[in-house]
Amino acid sequence: MGEVKKHDTPMVDDLKKGPWPSFVDDIYTYGEKHKKQACFDIMGQLELSYKHKETHWKHGGIVGVFGYGGGVIGRYSDQQERFPAIWAFHTLRVHHPAGKWYNTTALRKLCEMWEHRGSGLVNFHGSTGDIILLGTVTEQLEYTFYDLTHQLHWDLGGSGSNLRSPACCMGKSLCQWALFDVQDMDYELTMHFQDELHRPAFPYKFKFKFSGCPLDCVAAVARADLSFIGTWIDDIKIDQEAVRAYVNGEIPPNAGAFSDRDWGPFDIKKEVIDLCPTQCMYWDEKEQKLYINNKECNRCMHCIAVMPEALKPGDDRGVCVLIGAKSVILEGAQLSTVLIPFMRVEPPYDELKDFIYKIWDYWMENGKNRERVGEIIQRIGLNKFLVDVLEIEPIPQHILVPRAEPYIFWREEEVPGGWARDLAEFRKRHPA
Amino acid sequence: MTKEELKAKILEVIEAKVKKGGKTKVYLKDIQRDIPGASPREIKNAANELVREGKLEYFSSGSTVMFGIPGVGIGVEEAFKKEE
Ligand code: SF4
Ligand code: SF4
Repeated sequence: MGEVKKHDTPMVDDLKKGPWPSFVDDIYTYGEKHKKQACFDIMGQLELSYKHKETHWKHGGIVGVFGYGGGVIGRYSDQQERFPAIWAFHTLRVHHPAGKWYNTTALRKLCEMWEHRGSGLVNFHGSTGDIILLGTVTEQLEYTFYDLTHQLHWDLGGSGSNLRSPACCMGKSLCQWALFDVQDMDYELTMHFQDELHRPAFPYKFKFKFSGCPLDCVAAVARADLSFIGTWIDDIKIDQEAVRAYVNGEIPPNAGAFSDRDWGPFDIKKEVIDLCPTQCMYWDEKEQKLYINNKECNRCMHCIAVMPEALKPGDDRGVCVLIGAKSVILEGAQLSTVLIPFMRVEPPYDELKDFIYKIWDYWMENGKNRERVGEIIQRIGLNKFLVDVLEIEPIPQHILVPRAEPYIFWREEEVPGGWARDLAEFRKRHPA
Repeated sequence: MTKEELKAKILEVIEAKVKKGGKTKVYLKDIQRDIPGASPREIKNAANELVREGKLEYFSSGSTVMFGIPGVGIGVEEAFKKEE
């Protein structure tokens, strides 16, 4: 490869001054070392975008790999003469393994392949979870795909109107709080729904996310159309001895996570009891005993995270299924809503799969273009979605606040005799 | 309707839209509307099979996917103008 042509990028260079490592340094260093013109051209185009305050990328198009309707996103520069090395700069999404555990040899091979087939630039990870390979030309797509799948045994992730690459937390591989095997469920559903992942099926995107416990490290309730969050149905296990040890300052709260500063002595009332969202805890100062009204507890895990040695989730464990989180597009951003508060799960999760098909069938039939499942629920109402679509009984957990509106609308089948009435009979009683 | 009949019908629907001077790239939903006799799942399976046969092609913005007949129609910018 010959000499590279550098562009003047004063505004972009300014980003190197901050306290954190900068992508500008990374890209320039890499570009110099490997003599990749694309690295200098993207920096040049970025400088131009800063100047014009608008993007110079065009996205979308016919690019893809054979048989797949997702995983490749076409990207072109609209400044082709100035930045010829990035005239086509397509992105590939590579499906990450559950929990994002990698073998370093596999990563090295992936990087080598990408250095050869593309720009060499990667993003670990995109917001859905995939590894993002940034920038290659159309002619390299099939070769990259072949190397990726046949040589390295990776696969592309989802994009477009497909099921997107499911994502989970570290779960049992790293975390004491995992209440179900997130990685197993993630893997099983990913393999089961391969067709939906690789070929467009829906009115818009659909995301699964799995968090082992309500601390929700993958932020499923904010991001996934369908979230699976570990929870329990029996009582929180209390070790009163350990609670007293926290109160007496013998064990640091939050497993010492905030010990870099002196926050004063631990105050169980201020830091636990008063922060319990359902106000279901009571600390008896005289008795030196903690009480929890488990019926009212909504399993937020706050108290458990503050005093992990004293409190543990119960033993009867399962998942809470939530639906409908999304960012803005048709409607504003919204968080998930509880669909099934508690469900015991077991591989191969057939019950869940059937349930998912039921949601999809309705959404595929009735969803408008680019309408996420949360938006269709908003449109038709949660009640109708629960009762008519999923055929589940509404329960208190589905309700955020009690109704304020005094009117009740009955359906005809709910009223004895329906809407028809005998006018003659009525007039007998009400002659005027 | 057999799968082959459905595939022929999908092509017919898209060709008719092109002929009418309408869009050359369509969403699955647009096809569904014109073939009420088939379920959305049957339609997506048939449309994806047509892509594998080279009779249709995907057209993706990254966030959504449309289907079109290879070689027919407009470029990237126009097709996605409405989305931006
Ligand atoms: S979501 Fe819960 S189980 Fe998963 S990593 Fe976070 S704390 Fe651990
Ligand atoms: S888990 Fe949350 S709701 Fe339940 S007792 Fe602890 S703080 Fe309260």
